[in-house]
Amino acid sequence: MRDLLELAVSASATGCVYALLALAYLVMIRPTGIINFAVGEWAMVGAFGAFLAVTKVELPYPVGVAAVLACMFVVGWATERIAVRPLVRAGAPLLAPILALLGMLVVFRESVALAFGPDPYPVPYPLGFGRLELGPLAGSYQSFFIIGTTLATFALAWLFFERTLAGKCFAAVAIDRRAAALVGIDRTRVAALSFAAGAVIAALAGLLVGPNVSAHYLMGVPLAIQGFTALVIGGVGRVEGALLGGLLLAFAEQLTARYAPLPPGYAQGVPLALLMLFLLVRPTGLLAERGARA
Amino acid sequence: MKPLARWLAAALVLSALAFALSSYHNDVYRKLLLWVTLALGYNFLFGVAGQVAFSHFAFYGIGAYSIVILTFQAGLPLPLAIVAGVALCVAVALAVAIPSTRLEGFYLALATLALAQLFIVVLNEGGAVTGGAGGLADYRLPAILGVRVTGPWYTVVIVLLMLGTMALLARLDRSWFGRACRAVRDSPEAAAAMGVNVARTKVIAFTLTSALAAVAGMAYAFVDNTVNPPIFGLENAFLLLFMVIIGGAGRQAGAIAGAVALYLLPFVLSPLIGHHHALVFGVLMVAAILLQPRGLIGLYDALRRRAA
Repeated sequence: MRDLLELAVSASATGCVYALLALAYLVMIRPTGIINFAVGEWAMVGAFGAFLAVTKVELPYPVGVAAVLACMFVVGWATERIAVRPLVRAGAPLLAPILALLGMLVVFRESVALAFGPDPYPVPYPLGFGRLELGPLAGSYQSFFIIGTTLATFALAWLFFERTLAGKCFAAVAIDRRAAALVGIDRTRVAALSFAAGAVIAALAGLLVGPNVSAHYLMGVPLAIQGFTALVIGGVGRVEGALLGGLLLAFAEQLTARYAPLPPGYAQGVPLALLMLFLLVRPTGLLAERGARA
Repeated sequence: MKPLARWLAAALVLSALAFALSSYHNDVYRKLLLWVTLALGYNFLFGVAGQVAFSHFAFYGIGAYSIVILTFQAGLPLPLAIVAGVALCVAVALAVAIPSTRLEGFYLALATLALAQLFIVVLNEGGAVTGGAGGLADYRLPAILGVRVTGPWYTVVIVLLMLGTMALLARLDRSWFGRACRAVRDSPEAAAAMGVNVARTKVIAFTLTSALAAVAGMAYAFVDNTVNPPIFGLENAFLLLFMVIIGGAGRQAGAIAGAVALYLLPFVLSPLIGHHHALVFGVLMVAAILLQPRGLIGLYDALRRRAA
């Protein structure tokens, strides 16, 4: 039982990282319809950013993180300007920007490989290394920090989408792009902002997972797959879906790795199996969109 | 008779080249031919049928591994091993394609990305069967009817495989099925309204091209006489996509141009930038989509039109 509860804390922390990546996909898919597989690379860049800002330059953790996230806001904005907007403006099919972003994915990864080489780099722990016991729940400081930060991010995202005019603009563009433009919403600005926000959220995921796995230039693609699987499980309709999907995926993965009589590497097959299951049984994800689309 | 003569001439010229090359250059030439074969198959899957899949290279690997395992561990005769290997690939392809094609969009991309990753995991964890991280080595192409195909003659086998793939896909592209694939790519709704079974067309295109990749992989297994996990990684799955897009998706000439250009580019670039040619590929990919969506072959068309 103790074992199971300890597992629950670490699985929740991993699930929160997947959930943030799913949220990053979601804020871009909703208004633009574009699936950006480069979120994994953005997470990787975020982890390297934390290494540079906090370990190398020795900024205090909150300042360093703020600097990294501000840079990622610009990176996301610039990515949309370079690889998405010209294509959307030219009326290219939706596939074109998605493929261009795959090209950008390689550009991000290889630029980091060129700058840092193939060695892993340590990413700082914000609260140091230690163990916290909250009643029956026990885990590393980092696990609790990840869970807390993720819940705060999701609360902010929920407030933004449900309670602010800008968030309503995102939802309006998601429901019907042309109608949104007709009532005076600047679609290109919404698209640019959604990419900037996606980059910030993805980088946050990288910052959080970084201390546990170290920053490495190949860490992006597995994160991109797990984040998208979480999104498929939860459904793209609602913000809470991303969180639920991430947690479910992480629990399935870790319970399999811990209790199933399989070689450890095969736990990596869990996302594929879950994905196939959901595509067959419940293609809209667990949480269906609320009736806006009718 | 004229097209047949043209195919024969191509086979003769490409085969003759193998005998003019040194054994190192023969090796480079064989791999180039295999890349062209893969690019032709992927061109049909991505360019003609419009499916973004990252599993094509994994199927190449499944083909290579299955022929080695079936021939040298299960002890099957070569022809039977080829048939069994293709059957295995068809089964895997169906298992991935049927659930994925129930939905439009990028579910196939994700499912195939996960499959490609899982394949590498299986290779690394497979113990004695797959040889783990070191892969399998120390085997040789068995003699067929007492003849052992070696050296440039094996290059001839690959030339024939490449031309066979090309002829099959060119014919398929012009058939009812090829038009159905293009219709499904451009507008699934319109295709369905015209009586095309959208899901079945997608599944058949995916399974067929995956099986062709597996056959190419079987030929590859005897090029280096070793198969190991790093060869079949995701890097090469991306490279294949880039080849087809940079060359010009949807046209065989484009796939060939892209495969030749990106395969040979690292040889030219390595004195300048070492092993970082993937960065150049990424930049070329973004540039191709933004500036010339028809790729190299579109560029060639534009130049020729200007000259005329």
